[in-house]
Amino acid sequence: MGTASGIIKALNSGVKHIATKRFTFRYPEQKLKFVGDGYQYDPNSGVGIAGYKGRHILFHDKCTGCQLCAIACEDIAEAIAMPKVEEEWKHNKKAIMPQIDYGKCVFCGLCVDACPFYALYMTNDYELSSFTKEALIYTPAQLQVKPKVDQDVEIQIDEKGANHG
Amino acid sequence: MSNQVYPKDKEILPGLQIEKVDDRIMTLNVGPQHPGSGHMRIIIKVDGDYIVHTDPDPGYVHRGEEKMAEYRNYITNIPHLERPVIHDSCNILYPYCLGVEELLGLEVPERAKYLRVIAAELNRCVYIEYWLAIYGIFLGHSTMFMWPVGDRELLIDLLDKMTGARVTHAYFVPGGVRNDVPPNFEDVCLRQVNYFEKRLKEYADVFYDNPILISRTKDTGVLSREDAIKLGTTGSVLRASGVDFDIRKKEPYDVYEEMDFQTNVLKAGDSYARSKIPWLDMFESCRIIRDALKKMPKSGSVRVKLKPKPKGGDTEVYRRVESGRGSLGMHIVSRGLPQPYRLKISVPSFRNLIAMPHLLTGEKLGNMPAVYWSLNYWPVEADR
Amino acid sequence: MSVIAPKFRLGYLVKGITDNIFWIIVLLTLIGIPVVQIVLIYIDFPVIDGEIWNPFRVFDAMTHPERALPLVKNFMQTDLFKVVAFPGFGFAALIAAAVIFVERKMLAKLQLRVGPFYCGKVEGILQLMGDGLKLISKEIIIPAKADKPLFWAVPVLFAATAGAFVALIPVAPGWVVADIDLGLLAVFAVIGFFPIITILAGWSSNSKFPFIGGIRALYQMVSFEIPLILSLLGIVMLTGTLNLSEIVESQVNFPWIIFMPIGAIVFFICILAELERIPFDLPEAESEIVAGWLTELSGMMYGLVQLGSYLKLYAFAALFVVLFLGGWNGPWVYPIEPMAEIITDGIVIMPDALVIKDIPGLPLFPQEMINGTIWFILKTAAVIFFILLPRGVFPRVRIDLLLKIGWYKLIVLAFVNIFIALALVYGGIIGPGGIL
Repeated sequence: MGTASGIIKALNSGVKHIATKRFTFRYPEQKLKFVGDGYQYDPNSGVGIAGYKGRHILFHDKCTGCQLCAIACEDIAEAIAMPKVEEEWKHNKKAIMPQIDYGKCVFCGLCVDACPFYALYMTNDYELSSFTKEALIYTPAQLQVKPKVDQDVEIQIDEKGANHG
Repeated sequence: MSNQVYPKDKEILPGLQIEKVDDRIMTLNVGPQHPGSGHMRIIIKVDGDYIVHTDPDPGYVHRGEEKMAEYRNYITNIPHLERPVIHDSCNILYPYCLGVEELLGLEVPERAKYLRVIAAELNRCVYIEYWLAIYGIFLGHSTMFMWPVGDRELLIDLLDKMTGARVTHAYFVPGGVRNDVPPNFEDVCLRQVNYFEKRLKEYADVFYDNPILISRTKDTGVLSREDAIKLGTTGSVLRASGVDFDIRKKEPYDVYEEMDFQTNVLKAGDSYARSKIPWLDMFESCRIIRDALKKMPKSGSVRVKLKPKPKGGDTEVYRRVESGRGSLGMHIVSRGLPQPYRLKISVPSFRNLIAMPHLLTGEKLGNMPAVYWSLNYWPVEADR
Repeated sequence: MSVIAPKFRLGYLVKGITDNIFWIIVLLTLIGIPVVQIVLIYIDFPVIDGEIWNPFRVFDAMTHPERALPLVKNFMQTDLFKVVAFPGFGFAALIAAAVIFVERKMLAKLQLRVGPFYCGKVEGILQLMGDGLKLISKEIIIPAKADKPLFWAVPVLFAATAGAFVALIPVAPGWVVADIDLGLLAVFAVIGFFPIITILAGWSSNSKFPFIGGIRALYQMVSFEIPLILSLLGIVMLTGTLNLSEIVESQVNFPWIIFMPIGAIVFFICILAELERIPFDLPEAESEIVAGWLTELSGMMYGLVQLGSYLKLYAFAALFVVLFLGGWNGPWVYPIEPMAEIITDGIVIMPDALVIKDIPGLPLFPQEMINGTIWFILKTAAVIFFILLPRGVFPRVRIDLLLKIGWYKLIVLAFVNIFIALALVYGGIIGPGGIL
């Protein structure tokens, strides 16, 4: 009799879950919302500001070409190289800026922690796939662009169950 | 149990050997390319339906983590050392951070300690849900794969808000954590953890009280209390055999002594008990998270500012932590350089692996997935 | 399809079209004219309702469709229609396709996920068509050391036997493909084929995993066939006939499940085992023996086996409905009252202008049949829901537990059922010469 009641309880649970609300959303048409603008780091206090670690964004008017981000990444993923750029900035005499190879980057954010000039942050952009490996290397000009990220739904929980709004 | 024992006088060499085809005994290679094995190989000799000899063959994912750690300094080691168990990443960085803090003489702020405890418990739940999902699919229960993996998304969403990445957090550093939580985090966390706990209770009807599961896993792969202590097992395997040992209670670290939770112990020692203990542990983790959220100081720094390339003295340190699988320890030897001289990781999966031949020999072949995965074995961590 | 198309030129397009037209005309004359001669000289035209159907009436019917109705009605009563469309293959294949889709969506809802939603704008309706097209376009790989004639024959035999099973089930009064007096015995004979086909598949693949899968399937199916047959003996004793249509007719007042609940439960569990569904899906246990006896079948062979499997599902569910739940009997739902005027006067669409009874050929089938078919489909759908549900809720049983269930517990329960049936018959309650 224990088996019969166990079986009936399991079937009952199954039928109940057919009517439960689910928080699975339909990805290409609905995308998840983010809190904030991306991971940032404040060199004065030494503490980061919470955010999603997606694609980097480089502020050309702050970067001095000190290569600290490339040195930090050398031990981890070797994804940052410093090519010459054609722009002329007063604070960037060597005229070099980081280029990031997203085929190698592990999105750990230690390069953002290493930058002392508030020049390298991370954004919410995560859809970075491309058809060739060369297209994954983002030059400093490409890194300057602020991405446009679709955000539609988030997980909402009420008394009855979880849902996506 | 079988009454045909593999002849004791025959010397069995390890690994896959070339041998004569036997009439009765068939060698099965539950290899890395098998839906039921994970990334390791188990060489099983089978006599009909009974297993007569087991030889686990790990080493497929060995990457030389410990050697590579000697070339990186204490900070850039972090994304590298969290990779052996990537979805339990906070728990494997925990002993590393505690050890390095002792080496460098750092004092972690209070708020950082509470944040670490919350992140570690969330990570433990994430790992255990993943393990439970694979356990379900090994037994053929596809719903028990979908529900844990789906509920795990609630916690991964929380960790995403907290650390910035879904699985590869790189959140703990020696000296605290890397960033503070976003505003309104406590409210969202509490609501999602409460809903998570409600979902956990649903597993009982469909899995743990299911008569088919009970008849498949009860009294299979029984590990007695003396054997468990003698073989050096740890974690949920040990607690399912009746030994009350949890490092969070016996050697508390960070703020665990202020948290109010209990250790779950079951006496049976069979596969059913080993599959139930992690589920009971998750309830305790939810209690710890709620407790920590209440007791956390409302503001404060979360990180100690370090010098550019911190160097340790000429000492060594060993710290260990209770992770999702058992006690995980790190032994760090430093010689005054920014890089550690030697870093040894002592993993619970490798220690529990020693129990596998002891349990599988004499079992039926149909019980192999249930017993093997109930030992809470993560192949990547065992190979480092 | 990685061919780079050449640049478009009008000359090529015109040449292509004229080539096609030329060949169509050549083929039509070379083949069409002899065929027309043969048809005109050797074949007799059908006689329907006392009129000969020559080709001129066919052209006439193309412009006035309502004059084609007697032809359609006559066609619906032939054997070919019964085999291909209504209670036979077409009907069963439609239900099988619907079952596959509903299974995927229902399991997804149970497991708190979405299931197919991308293919076809509305909740993934065209997913099945996409899967079928994919299977057709795949290459059929035969292992080098496999036994080729047997290997090619297996999927065809499987689908054919499933089709034979479908042919025995009565859907509405008078609508059954094969009206055999020993209908139930024929069902057992056809079911007995399936283990043989499974073992042929396992053996002819010449590989370790299909072999183990085939042996496991043989153990499972054989050990569950005995309780299957025994549990139905009670019904035979109570109705005194083996003909499936008569069994349905004997349930006009009450379904047999009220008196034989144990037999129904035993039969249901045996259905799950014969169909290799969870919790009894050892022959396909993915985490242990890759895919069992289906491992080496690829492309459309796999598609045929799946089709046969779902046809079997429909046939077993329909058998359960016929034997235990009352078949097509049920309260009158459609056509709605009043009924008598419809039979005598015909359905009135526009009074004094268009009355369906006046159009020759209508009604296409007796109106009473619709009610029976609706009830049959509803009951089969309910039984199929209960067959699909354990897939989401139970793990797989181990082989020795499965054999213990099949050989000990179910046979005992089936014998208890037979004793209940005997008690009912000898107590004079039901059966020939009883109270009810």
